[in-house]
Amino acid sequence: MRKRNHRSPITSVILYSLLALTLVFVFFPLFWMLVTSLKTPIEANELPPTLIPRTPTLDAFKFLLERWHYPEVLLNTFVIATFSALGATILSGMAAYGINRLQFPGRSAFYGFMVATLALPGMVTIGPIFMTYKDIGLLDTRLGLTLVFLSGGLPLAMLVVFSALNSIPRDIDDAAAIDGCSWFDTLFRVMLPIAMPSFVVSFLLLFIHAWNEFLFAYILSVTPEKRVLTVRLFEMPNRGDVYLPQYDLIAAGGVLVLLPIIPILILGQKRLVEGILAGATQGT
Amino acid sequence: MAQAESALSPTRSRTRHEAGFFAKYWMAYLLVLPAIIVRFAYTIIPLFRTLWLSLTNMSITNPGEFVGLRNYAMLFQDELFINSLGWTFVYTVSATLIETALGLAFAVLLNQKLRGQSTAIFIVMLPWVIAPMLASNVWKLLLYDSTGIFNQTLTMVGLDRIPWLSDPFWARVSVTLVSVWKNVAWVSLIFLAGLRSLPKEVLEAAEVDGAGPFTRFFRVSLPLLQSTTLLILLLRGMGEIQTFEQIYGLTMGGPGTSTRTLALLAYERFFTEFRYGYGSAVNMWLFLFAALVGFYYSWKLYQAAR
Repeated sequence: MRKRNHRSPITSVILYSLLALTLVFVFFPLFWMLVTSLKTPIEANELPPTLIPRTPTLDAFKFLLERWHYPEVLLNTFVIATFSALGATILSGMAAYGINRLQFPGRSAFYGFMVATLALPGMVTIGPIFMTYKDIGLLDTRLGLTLVFLSGGLPLAMLVVFSALNSIPRDIDDAAAIDGCSWFDTLFRVMLPIAMPSFVVSFLLLFIHAWNEFLFAYILSVTPEKRVLTVRLFEMPNRGDVYLPQYDLIAAGGVLVLLPIIPILILGQKRLVEGILAGATQGT
Repeated sequence: MAQAESALSPTRSRTRHEAGFFAKYWMAYLLVLPAIIVRFAYTIIPLFRTLWLSLTNMSITNPGEFVGLRNYAMLFQDELFINSLGWTFVYTVSATLIETALGLAFAVLLNQKLRGQSTAIFIVMLPWVIAPMLASNVWKLLLYDSTGIFNQTLTMVGLDRIPWLSDPFWARVSVTLVSVWKNVAWVSLIFLAGLRSLPKEVLEAAEVDGAGPFTRFFRVSLPLLQSTTLLILLLRGMGEIQTFEQIYGLTMGGPGTSTRTLALLAYERFFTEFRYGYGSAVNMWLFLFAALVGFYYSWKLYQAAR
């Protein structure tokens, strides 16, 4: 409050203009996608482009809903993202608890291993994973993709939960033990409720990551019904009858992929920021 | 119960003599090993298989035999590999630096007490939740050569069109631009948190001593943000060096081979030409570079956790 008072009008104008410029840079591409998705194929190609659709239509959406196998693809994406995020959060939560609270040989090596593998590019491992999946029949299955994303989410989930556990003072464990709690009670009645928000954060982060992933989803699925949304986005269907670039379809496809994620962002904005910070700033 | 209790509170005196290794630690390993085993199966085992493949001449038509380092020797006569290596380096460095600088600027701006601040933070966060493949589609709509809105705007104000995606130089600019747009959100959030956790007394003391806003930023805030900045540079560098999705979505490595990063080259060799051995050798280089950045970063985390 104090600062706003002794800011000169000129400074204010400059600051607000810069803010407006920033927001235009960030938001305009998305706005343009939304606008284009509501145009007819002809208007989407019109010169000069119209800022507001003259005759708004949902044709592009209708076309994609049919041609994309949208219900199946949406269900695939949702199931894979949910179960991989849930699985990774649970496994990482267990590991984070063990590493943070128990003493055993190899403790810090395990932690180091989990974090170090973050640096491994997906491209380096996908070839052999593809070959193995083909041999053992996991290619083109939801289970196969779920497991890949589960493994991919483990390090981030562990950092998020670990940093939450780290902030719970060890005195609480001791106090619970003195009060006669078994380790089992301590874990489920004391630690878990306190660490719960970090599990939610980890789940949300991993859900978004899995929702957005393309490379593994593209390589490890084959039939259209087994694809996920990002892959469908890449394989834009052709609208044979209109010989024009299909801007409206590209835009509508984008909206169809993005829309289901927006509620998570709106409801979980604060938690997500916490998660991003916990994932990134563990070491500082 | 005695073992479990002593394991729960590592600071207390250990009772090593009374139980065997298994009885003492089974709980800890039961908790930690499932995650470790899954991660191991999906990272270390495929990594070693890639290493093995890179030493063979396996392809879709050839079951493969051991050829030693021949693939690696071939790589250095392959002009495409050298170009790709150079572009990956240029792209990683420029995208990382621009993202970091712009993210810092955004964070400073969002940290001012302006109206609509929380809405602004929400909007700046949007590109972060967007799939890389989606980001490239969003930008395609703006960048198309003939009818994209960027070129339309340029034409309207009487300037020449820019071949955003069809000229090697401009395609490289476009690819970098999309990465910056996508990743600046994350950088801003980390910097914003860093700015907010700066000690207020120090900044106020500087203000009392007559330091202007710019002196305060460059002489006080920025030095205090040093470790945050290093962290961001490392994490973004690690991310950019392995970029595949955005570029594949936007240009598929083209025009020609101008935006083909190492990851794209490895992808093409492995999955479109089915040269498993050669593709794996490209991947080993990608691994080496990512590991150089990544292990330095994880070493810092590892030390912090000890």
